[in-house]
Amino acid sequence: MNMLASIPGVLDAAVLAQASAPAPMAQSQLAHYMFISAALFAIGLIGFLTRRNLIIMFLCTELMFQAAGVALIAFSRFHMNMTGQTFVIFILTVAAAEAAMALALVVLLFRRRESLNAEEFSEMKG
Amino acid sequence: MGFMMTLSTILATLASPIAALAQSEAAHAASQEAGHAAEHVAHAAEKIEAIAAPGVGPMWLLLIPVLPLVGFVLSALCAAFRVKSKLPAWLTVLCLGASFAVTLGMYLQVSSGQIANPSVATGFEWIKVAWGAGDAHSIIANFGLYIDSLTCLWMLFVTGLATLIGLYASEYMAGDVGAGYCRFYAAFNLFVFSMSCLVMGDNLLLLYLGWEGVGLCSYLLIGYFYKKPSAVEAGKKAFIVNRIGDLGLALGLMLTAVHFGSIEYSVIFAKAQPYLAALSEGRLGDIPAVVQLIPVLLMIGAFGKSAQLPLYVWLPDAMEGPTPVSALIHAATMVTAGVYLVARAYPLFLLSETALPIVAWTGALTALLAATIGMAQFDIKRIMAYSTVSQLGYMFAGLGVLTSTGAAFHVFTHAFFKAMLFLSCGAVMHGFAGQLDLRKLSGVGSMPGWRVVGIAMLVGCLNLAGFPVITSGYWSKDMILGGAFANPHMVAIGWILLITAGLTAYYTFRVYFRVFVGPKYFEPGDEVHGHAGDDHGHDHGHDHAHADHGDRGHGHDAHAHFHPHAPGWAINTVLAILAVAAFAVIGLRFVGGHEGWVSGLIEHSSANYGGHAMYAAAASHGGEHAHATFFGYDAHQAMMYVSGVVGFIGIAVAFVLHYAGRTTAAKSRADALLPLVGPLAKWAQGKWYVDELYNAIIRVPLLVAAHVFHLIDKAIVDGIVDLFGWVPKFTGSSLRPSQSGVLHGYALSMAGGLAVLVLIVVMVMR
Amino acid sequence: MMLAVLILIPLAAAVMVAVAPASRARSIAMVGMLAAAAMTGYLLFSFDWEHTAAQQFTLDEESSRLIGPLGVSVSMSVDSISMMLVTLTALLGPICVAASKTAITERVKTYYAWMLVLQSAMLGVFCARDMIFFYTCFEFTLIPMYIMISLWGSTNRKKAAAKFFLYTFTGSVIALAGIVYVAWSYADRHGTWTFDADTLMRWSRSLPAATQGWVLGALLLGFAVKVPLFPFHTWLPLAHTEAPTAGSVILAGVLLKLGTYGLVRFALPFAPMAFVTYSPAIAAVCVVGILYGGLICWVQNDVKKLVAYSSVAHLGFCVLGIASYNVMGVTGSILYMINHGLSTGALFLLIGMIYERYHTRSMKELGGLAAKMPVWSTFMVFFAMASVGLPGLNGFVSEFMCLFGAFQASDQWGAGLWGTAAGQTPGATPGHLGAWVAAIAGTGMVVAAMYLLYMVGKVVWGPLVEPAGHGGHDHGVHGHGSHGSHGQNDHGVLPRDLTGREIGVLVPLAALCIYLGVYPSPVIKALKDPVALTTTDVVNFGAARAAMPLVPPANTVPAGHQQAGEHGAAGQAPAPKVDNHAGENKETAR
Repeated sequence: MNMLASIPGVLDAAVLAQASAPAPMAQSQLAHYMFISAALFAIGLIGFLTRRNLIIMFLCTELMFQAAGVALIAFSRFHMNMTGQTFVIFILTVAAAEAAMALALVVLLFRRRESLNAEEFSEMKG
Repeated sequence: MGFMMTLSTILATLASPIAALAQSEAAHAASQEAGHAAEHVAHAAEKIEAIAAPGVGPMWLLLIPVLPLVGFVLSALCAAFRVKSKLPAWLTVLCLGASFAVTLGMYLQVSSGQIANPSVATGFEWIKVAWGAGDAHSIIANFGLYIDSLTCLWMLFVTGLATLIGLYASEYMAGDVGAGYCRFYAAFNLFVFSMSCLVMGDNLLLLYLGWEGVGLCSYLLIGYFYKKPSAVEAGKKAFIVNRIGDLGLALGLMLTAVHFGSIEYSVIFAKAQPYLAALSEGRLGDIPAVVQLIPVLLMIGAFGKSAQLPLYVWLPDAMEGPTPVSALIHAATMVTAGVYLVARAYPLFLLSETALPIVAWTGALTALLAATIGMAQFDIKRIMAYSTVSQLGYMFAGLGVLTSTGAAFHVFTHAFFKAMLFLSCGAVMHGFAGQLDLRKLSGVGSMPGWRVVGIAMLVGCLNLAGFPVITSGYWSKDMILGGAFANPHMVAIGWILLITAGLTAYYTFRVYFRVFVGPKYFEPGDEVHGHAGDDHGHDHGHDHAHADHGDRGHGHDAHAHFHPHAPGWAINTVLAILAVAAFAVIGLRFVGGHEGWVSGLIEHSSANYGGHAMYAAAASHGGEHAHATFFGYDAHQAMMYVSGVVGFIGIAVAFVLHYAGRTTAAKSRADALLPLVGPLAKWAQGKWYVDELYNAIIRVPLLVAAHVFHLIDKAIVDGIVDLFGWVPKFTGSSLRPSQSGVLHGYALSMAGGLAVLVLIVVMVMR
Repeated sequence: MMLAVLILIPLAAAVMVAVAPASRARSIAMVGMLAAAAMTGYLLFSFDWEHTAAQQFTLDEESSRLIGPLGVSVSMSVDSISMMLVTLTALLGPICVAASKTAITERVKTYYAWMLVLQSAMLGVFCARDMIFFYTCFEFTLIPMYIMISLWGSTNRKKAAAKFFLYTFTGSVIALAGIVYVAWSYADRHGTWTFDADTLMRWSRSLPAATQGWVLGALLLGFAVKVPLFPFHTWLPLAHTEAPTAGSVILAGVLLKLGTYGLVRFALPFAPMAFVTYSPAIAAVCVVGILYGGLICWVQNDVKKLVAYSSVAHLGFCVLGIASYNVMGVTGSILYMINHGLSTGALFLLIGMIYERYHTRSMKELGGLAAKMPVWSTFMVFFAMASVGLPGLNGFVSEFMCLFGAFQASDQWGAGLWGTAAGQTPGATPGHLGAWVAAIAGTGMVVAAMYLLYMVGKVVWGPLVEPAGHGGHDHGVHGHGSHGSHGQNDHGVLPRDLTGREIGVLVPLAALCIYLGVYPSPVIKALKDPVALTTTDVVNFGAARAAMPLVPPANTVPAGHQQAGEHGAAGQAPAPKVDNHAGENKETAR
């Protein structure tokens, strides 16, 4: 956040947005968003822990990621500080790049090992 | 028997002059008695002035040490260019001869007063460290020469004998031409250079340089036959034992530097004058303990270098070196360095109440101990080695009983006759393929070609035994004995020395009667003695096609073909010169100062700077003891007879036991006497087991300590370090199983951790 | 700027080695080393020998600043102490390259590149006037050395390299902590950070005695591991035994000197009060090291290990000289650094030459080499004697000075010790060591003779012993000194005795050994002023123990660093006696 704040212009935009924004979000409204976010996260977490297929597990991590994004946007709106929303846009971009790379790695892994079962990979054993 | 007759005749004819001389001596002494005190005090002021402001010596004096250095460089170059001729020998003789000539010039100029006595010739600044303002806060050690008559005395025989022995060695070492010949002469020259630094240095540090330098050369030359383990061991032993002494010298030097603020003789002597004055006025309390400690420390160095108790053990082993080395270094010159040091620092020694008595007692006991060992040995070179130790003991005793003149005179005469004895033994060894056992040689003196050696040996033995009147050894030994009996506190030492004189005469003539006269017989050595280590043995007649190590088996098979080869011109010439010189130095007893030429030199050197103080101190102690008596007779006068008689008895005993009636080389009448002395003879032959004792109480504990330290180092000191390395290693390996490498394990633990965190946050928030 | 050029020359050569083909690596390295040596020669020539205590060729702090807010710069300058060690380093560089010709045949590029980097780092240590720059160079020597040991070492090299790295690194991190503490306390007080050595030195000596004790402890620990002093020495034998020859030479010749240099340059002036207080303890450690190390040498079987342990004993003498903090001792100590570098470096070279021929260093398998290798043997005896401390060769001068420094450094002289009153001992200097320390340390001279002659007696003298497979074919030509023409050993590369290259490597070292033994006077004179400056400060600041306020008034900063010549000449004469009590000494704090 500080890093963003230090970039000239970012903060000014937030201030402008704040000036013309409608009334703040109510506490109860926030709770709804939080619930969605928590549910998404829990689904992702459970999926990650229970499934063995690497692609599914990857999708689950994306789910948890987006849960965090939802929470970020909600809080941003709640505090009337647009930095959070800006941040999420960054995250989405990075996540897209990351997803592309991760899927590429998974494909390579499949080519080499003919399997996507996470339990078969334990090279990092200590 | 004819021999005994000759001796008695000589003795009888000389009996009257000796009496006359002794009386004149006594009269001289008496007349001087009265005038002495005033005379000494009068000289004192003059001397202090001379010491405090020494003259400036001419630069050509530096040639004396530099010429041997040139010889060293030339010999080393010969070695580098693999010269396979006698070139290094001739270069050496040339350089050393030139050095001797310069020394002679120095002596003449000093004695004629053209060079001030003392004076200093400074070459260049060697070490100068200043830690404050003024010369007092600095240590200056120049490469400078201190020239006084003591220096002249020592340098004359050092360079003179070195030249002669260099000539002798040119033939003696001929078998090594092209092999170790250059190496031998390089070390030989380096030795003379070091010795001249030792003797001529104008400060204690330059003396120390020479001191260790001669030690190095001694090490190199003892270990000359380096393939022989015993020679290597002997060299090592010599160096290490000497180093122990050197440590004492170094500490004495440091103490001098701290107390006097200088290590230059001229400054030290000048600054010691107030103490000498205090001594002469009987104010002993004014001399600090530090000053009294200096001579004790210097003395340790002297005892190491001059092979005195308890550090004498290296010298007999040093006989592993080639004989010319034994003659030059281990008999005539290097081993007298300790005597030189004490004589040079005599003013400091006088300041200590304990130093000179320790010197005297050490000398006397060493003389006796070495003589007893010498009596029981069979290796003639070793007998000579022990006799060297014994004679050095005499010299120290002489210094200790306050007759520095006697000590210096004995150094001078001993240098000649002992060098001659060694060179004669060397000639025998050279000719008989390394044979040195007196049981395997007999009648050598009457073999063809061995006449010069036989005569030289006889002259040497007579001198060593102190045969009355006609030998220089008699006169110098007599001076020490007289000095001991004349000093009321030193009478016991006198007796020890007197007994030793008898033993000396016996063991000396034991060698002579066994080896040089009697029935002709020899067994050649197997060259394991002395030369075996060297592949290029010594039998010139044979070619050099030896196998790897010493040709064992050569001995008895070859006996039938073996012909001892008599020495050539170089050896014979040197022996002849030395024999003449050994007699000629008697003359020095009767020219020059009141006790001869040497006393004339000593009286004008540092060895007598304290003389007046010493005299006054003795006088202030009641004066009556200025001369003690020997059973009511003047000690010096009485000794002329007594020591002569004792020497004569020793020779007679040797004659009866080892010559009369002896028909074989191996046996003599003495063997019949052995049961009478019980195990003593065996113990003496075993050198009283001093080597074994040192091994057991010093070397072995050190070795054990070293091994223990090594173990401690590996186990504990390094172990602790490894422990520090082991801690993270252990921690890591014990946590290792937690890293299963399975993704779900990590995920689960992450989720669990998250849950715990959430739980904590929730609890805390509440 | 000239010093920066000096340091950059080997670094540039390292880059060139890295990009050039492997066959050129050695010649480029040689050129680089020679260029650095030539630059050093030029510096020696243009050095102002009249003002040896003055910092010269200065690269000042402002123009060389790296990290402004922290006051870190690459400021450099040398006085005569540094100049001597720079010269030693520059001299050993080409020698090491020349000595590696036949020994290093694999990964030549890597080897020479790292060796050049090492050269730069070592030169940097001796030139640095910024503590962080000093520390960086000090630590950076580890990496090339680590690589040299672990890639070109013998069998146990991995362990040796790791131990060397970790041990010395741990030590110097503690030293860094000490340095940073001093800098932090300065910044805390003045509000600005600086790592300038002179500023921190002036600040550090104004710290209270207890704080100085900690600073000294930290610096001492770091430097003692590097030296190495007695209980911290165990990495040394291992590293030396495993390192390639040139590595051992550099290690013994220069790297160990970084520790002693650090002691003289930083530990001594940074914490004078603590140093005065703890000097007996330091001396005790040295004395133990001298005897302990010496005796361990005596029972070694590996020649190289023997020489390595001998370094422990030798460096004990060196630090003993520092512990006496008088002109004699410290000058002797600096000379010792140079002399030990020459003689021990040469011994390692000689052992390396044997190892190349026989592939063993065990004294059980080697003996009597004088018969086969007379030239090698001559050099061996020569350098052993230099190491023993034979007068006339270099080792003696420095050993004697260190011992004598310890001997005279006692407040007891003139205070009734052995009946001497004040004024009766002009040779005494303030200190806490004295005759006993020197006497016990002096026995180390005897021990040195024991172990070095033991080695020489085994390897050089005695009956010829060679490892199996060597020398059997020599029976026919069992001559003396035949070399070159016949008697090639089974490597075909190296003749039996030394080659011209090997002799050429040894001769400069031998010549310097003789020069420094026969005529050390100019060197001693050159060292006098900076050493007097250091020791006078130690005595003055160390003496003022209790009287010293926490923060000295502004005018108490010693002016000595600007007025070196004058200061040095005044020497220690006006120095007050250390033992005096506080009252007298207030004014001596200047």
